[in-house]
Amino acid sequence: MIARLEGRFIDIVLWGSLAAILIFFYIPIFTLIAFSFQEGRFLTLPFEGISLRWYGELFRNTNALNALWNSTLIAIITTVIATAIGTMAAIAAVRYRFRGTDAFRLLAGVPLAFPQLLLGIVLLLWFSVLGRMLDFSTGISTAIIGHIVYITPFAMVIVAVQVYNFDATVEDAARDCGASSFEVYRYVTIPLLWPGIFSAAIFAFLLSWGNFYLTYSLAGSTRTLPTFIFSGIAIGSSPLYPAIATVIFIPGILLVILANRLRRT
Amino acid sequence: MADEVPRSWRDPDLLIKALPTVLLQTTCFLAPLVMTFLLTFQRSRNFQLQWSWDLWTWTDVFSKPHYWTILGHTIFMAAATVAICLIIAFPIAYGLATRFKAWENEIKVLITFAFITDATLKIYGWALFLDKNGMANYALSSIGLPPEMVAFLYTDWATLLGMVYSLSAFAIFTLYLSISNIDRSLILAAYDAGAGKFRAHWEVTLPLCKPGIWAGSVLIFLLSVGAFLEPKVLGGGKSPMSAELIRQTFETRVNWPLGAALTLVLMVVSVFIVLLFSRLIGLKRAGLAA
Repeated sequence: MIARLEGRFIDIVLWGSLAAILIFFYIPIFTLIAFSFQEGRFLTLPFEGISLRWYGELFRNTNALNALWNSTLIAIITTVIATAIGTMAAIAAVRYRFRGTDAFRLLAGVPLAFPQLLLGIVLLLWFSVLGRMLDFSTGISTAIIGHIVYITPFAMVIVAVQVYNFDATVEDAARDCGASSFEVYRYVTIPLLWPGIFSAAIFAFLLSWGNFYLTYSLAGSTRTLPTFIFSGIAIGSSPLYPAIATVIFIPGILLVILANRLRRT
Repeated sequence: MADEVPRSWRDPDLLIKALPTVLLQTTCFLAPLVMTFLLTFQRSRNFQLQWSWDLWTWTDVFSKPHYWTILGHTIFMAAATVAICLIIAFPIAYGLATRFKAWENEIKVLITFAFITDATLKIYGWALFLDKNGMANYALSSIGLPPEMVAFLYTDWATLLGMVYSLSAFAIFTLYLSISNIDRSLILAAYDAGAGKFRAHWEVTLPLCKPGIWAGSVLIFLLSVGAFLEPKVLGGGKSPMSAELIRQTFETRVNWPLGAALTLVLMVVSVFIVLLFSRLIGLKRAGLAA
C-alpha cells in the first residue's frame, strides 16, 4: 500500500517536472513565434493585429537573405569536413590502441569543454597575427575553420557511440571472404556506421547554422543569421527578427526528428 | 563492444584516421592557445600591439581588484548555474531512463530541439518574454496582478535564468546516460533488503550516477564561465561577467595582451576549481572505502 502510494507520488513528481521543464524550454521559442505574427512595428503587447506582413518584409530584405545564404554556406562546408574528420577520429579513438591513445582522445575532445566565446577570441588572435604575417583578413573561411574546430569533437562523440556498439567480427568475416580493406570500408564499415554518421552530420549542420559566438568573433564583416539577429537586438528590433527566428525553427525541428529516427533504426 | 586493436603510428590506416584531428587541433586549438600565452608578455600602445616581452600586462592584471571582483562574480554565477541545472535535470533524466518509456523519443526530440536551437534566438525570446511590455507582465496584469512583479529583466536573476536555460540540457543528457547504465537488479536488491523507494533512491541510485553528475557539472561549469549573451542581453550588462569584460578589452580598448591575459586567468582559475573539486570528491571516496 505504502509502496503504491510512493510510486504514484513519484509519477506525479516526475511527469510534473517534465511538464514544467518543457514549458520552460519552449517559453522563448513560442514567444518568438507569437511576435512574428504581430502586425505593428513594435514588439509589445497587446497585439495590434495578426498578419504575415513581416514574413513578406523578410523575403524582400536583402541583408537577411544574404545572412541566410552565408549561414547555409558555412554550415554545409563545416558539416562535410567536421563529419569526415570526426568519423575517422571516432574509429581511431574507440577501436585502436596506439602510443598516446589517451592524449589523442583528450586532444580530440577538449574543445567541447572550452567556452565558445573564448575559443573565438583565441582563434581571432591567432588569425589576426597570422593574417598580418601572411596578409589575409578574417572572413567566411576563418569562420569555417573556427566552426570545424568546435564541431568536429561533437561529431566524433556522436559517431563514437555507434562505433562502440559495432561488432568488429563482421569486418573480419568480410576480410576472410577476400574483400580488400577499401571494400571492407565501402561495403561493411561505413554502411553499419551510417546512422551515427548521418545524425552527426545533422547535428554538425545545426550547430554551425545557429552558431553565434564563433561567427561573431571570426567572420569579420560577414553577417550570418545569428549575428544578423544579434545586431538587430542591439539596435532595437521589429517583428522582422521573430519572423526570421520562426523560419529558422522549421528546418531545425525537422532535422532533429530525422536524426532521432535514424538513431533508432 | 569492439576490441581495441593495437596500431602503430606507421600504419597508414591509423594515420589517415587520426592525423586530420591531430593536425586540426594542434594548428587551430593548441597553437592559438600557446600564442595567446605569448601575447600576454607584450604591450599595447595606441591600440597597436608592441612586442616588448615583459611582465607589464601581468602586473596590470594582478594590481587591479576590478578584474578579480568580476572573476569572483563569474565563478559564483557559474557555480549557481551548475547547482540549479543538476536539481532541475535530475527528475527529467531519471524519468527518461525509467518511467517515460512510451514517450521517450518525443521527449528527447523536444529537449534536443530546444537545446540545439540558436542561442541568440532563445535569449532574445526570453528578453521579449520578460520585457516590461512583454508576455510575462501582460499575463500578470491581465489576471489583475501589478505588472511590476516582473521587474526581472536586467538583473542577475535574469542572467542566471538564461544560463540555466542554455545549459541544463547538458545535465539532462549526462545524467540520463549514467542512470540508464545502472544495473536495475541492484535497486531490486535494495527493495528485497527492505528499503523503500526513497531509501533505495538515496542509497543506491544517487551514488551510482555520480559519474554522470560529475561529468555534467564540469561541462556546465566550464561552459558557463564563458557566458556572454546572457549577462549582456538579459542582465543588461549591469553586472558584467568575465566574458563580457574580455570581449570589451578586445573590442573597445583594443588591448590584445590584456585580453589574452584575462582569458588565460579565467581558464586557469576554472580548471583549477574543477581539479580542486575532483580531488575533494576523490578524497571523500577514498575515505569511505577505508
